[in-house]
Amino acid sequence: MPESIVMVSDVRVTLGGNPVLSGVGLAASKGEIVAVIGANGTGKSTLLRCIAGLQSLDAGRLDVLGGPPDDDAAFWRDVAMVGDEPAWYPGLTVREHLEMMRAVHDSPRLEVPAVLAMFDLAARADATPLNLSTGQRQRLSLAMALLRPSRLLLLDEPERGLDANFRRRLGTILLEYAEAGGTVVMATHDPLLAEDTSARQIVLAA
Amino acid sequence: MTGGVGGVPAVRAFIRSKRRRPSSWSDRYAMLFGLVLVGATVAQPVSAAIAAAARQADPSRMGAGIVLLALAYLCLLGLARMFGPVALPAADAAWMVLSPLPRRGVLGKSAGILLAVSLTAGLVLGLAAFAVFGAGDQVVWRLAAALLLGVSATAGGMATAVLAQSSQPWDSWLTLTMAAAATVAALAALLEAGPGRQLLTAVAAAPASASAALAGLAAATAALLVRLAWRSLDRIPTRTLLAASTRVGHVATATVSMDPGALTWIAEDNHWRGRALRSRPWPALPAPLALAWQDWRRLARRPRRAAALLATAVLPAVAAQAGGGLAPPVTVLVTVAGGLAVAATAASGARRDGDNPSLARLLGVDRRAALAARAVLPALLVASWLTLALGGLLAAGALTGGPWWLFGPLAAPALAAGALRAARRRPIDHSMPVIDTPGGAIPTGPALWALTGVDLAALGTLPLVVALVFQPGALGGFLVAQAVTGAAVLAGYLIRAAR
Repeated sequence: MPESIVMVSDVRVTLGGNPVLSGVGLAASKGEIVAVIGANGTGKSTLLRCIAGLQSLDAGRLDVLGGPPDDDAAFWRDVAMVGDEPAWYPGLTVREHLEMMRAVHDSPRLEVPAVLAMFDLAARADATPLNLSTGQRQRLSLAMALLRPSRLLLLDEPERGLDANFRRRLGTILLEYAEAGGTVVMATHDPLLAEDTSARQIVLAA
Repeated sequence: MTGGVGGVPAVRAFIRSKRRRPSSWSDRYAMLFGLVLVGATVAQPVSAAIAAAARQADPSRMGAGIVLLALAYLCLLGLARMFGPVALPAADAAWMVLSPLPRRGVLGKSAGILLAVSLTAGLVLGLAAFAVFGAGDQVVWRLAAALLLGVSATAGGMATAVLAQSSQPWDSWLTLTMAAAATVAALAALLEAGPGRQLLTAVAAAPASASAALAGLAAATAALLVRLAWRSLDRIPTRTLLAASTRVGHVATATVSMDPGALTWIAEDNHWRGRALRSRPWPALPAPLALAWQDWRRLARRPRRAAALLATAVLPAVAAQAGGGLAPPVTVLVTVAGGLAVAATAASGARRDGDNPSLARLLGVDRRAALAARAVLPALLVASWLTLALGGLLAAGALTGGPWWLFGPLAAPALAAGALRAARRRPIDHSMPVIDTPGGAIPTGPALWALTGVDLAALGTLPLVVALVFQPGALGGFLVAQAVTGAAVLAGYLIRAAR
């Protein structure tokens, strides 16, 4: 039986008096890719925030990597999350952001030159993230998450700002991550990305 | 629409008619009353300052006074360059700049505001110059000459900054003017310390007619520059105007929404957006230090800023020299607040992680260890700054004998903790109550925001503050107490902050 990485059952979340998640369940095993799909406002991002321990539940049960999620360093050593654009550190280039990520992890999944090539950022390696396009900044966010080791990858609309070619390449990158034993839970509006990654689809309805 | 058919006044009148009701007599009365009140409030201290300044200059303070005057002028020009100086409100920038309306008409109001700001700053600068150089005879003429010189300097400088917006050669002239102001400050500091003091005395003793001639020449030059600047308004490139307006708009938004923390983000991002960098290898360090290395690299990439920061350590001594000593509360204020400000310049990483923790989460470094590593650079910077500042005050005779400089490294941990706490504070909570006191209403949200960080710095530097106030003969006990307090405050902050 495959190792359970994420187990969500009968979760209920209310925000500002409005029920956002009601009786939602989700399970993800080691090496699996799960795509959470649904219209705007159905609670996809909220579900990811719950799995990341950033949103408390009104009811239900949630286990991530064998226990309740906790917003601390031990949890984030195993879990990498890419959601809204992070605040890039001032005065650092793209390459230096990646090298910093490489420096704080003992055994990275990938080396910086390989990541720069994989995410088409080599030509912009000396630029500051502020001078990149929206899509390039999204690629940098994904590159930061995939350079470091992790057991669970949480992606909130990873296709945001990406061109069609890179969306397809992202599918391959995520498949490789899963084949190496990582688990991916992503909220997406891109049915092609879900298909390309052979993701198990969970549909949230309003 | 063109300038001939209605033009800018018609557009502005239309916007005003849609935006708000016309000014009533009540509005005009309130404005007039406000102006009278400001005049009455300012008149007494200004007349007292003039009366105090109407004497022979004190040669021992003149050099320091000139240094402060030159630095104030340098700051004015620096701010003018940073903010434009010609800029428009966001709506005007979006619609009126990108229209066929005559550019000078669109920018006329901004130019008028700049002129008013220059004149006000010039009067203050002139009055300060009058206080520095004194007046042995012909007080009225010397005062008039000083005021005219001040106004000419600021109006001329602002006009040069406006010209610099549309012309590279004028930008070079502005740089030259700023370099000249810095040189004057440095020369005054040198002359004041050595036998060159006689030269400063001779300048102060120059006949009133010479001052008047100099002021006249400056006024004529300034008038010419203002005229050229007015003509250049048509030639300011649109992209320059839009960039300046965006900067001013961000600042205005941050001010109106009372989120001053946003200003540091804006200034920082604006700086790096325009820079070409070359990546350098990241050093192999333990994870928390590797993360905190970002602040070190950022500092190393702005060496002039770091040097200027350290150079400000002489300002307390210069102020003490100019004022013939500093009152203990002022000494406390300039050293502790200065130290806190210096530490805060090296806390940008903690500020980013506090405002938006997603990158910190992605990096996955233990929070307490990361914060401890981030405290190293602010502590080192503030230790250097405070050591220099206290040493300078000792040399200037503002402190009695003793190893005051030792307080620098000993108070540094507490000031670093205060800077980190200030950097990680949440935005102002405007929902907090306003407390009515006999001294006026106190909005607790902004008050608590402003005190966050300052509280820790004040607590952690208490032995230094007490020593500065009472200036005891033996400092040993205070130094030991400062070492213990500084370390305890930083350790306590790190333990609490990581929870």
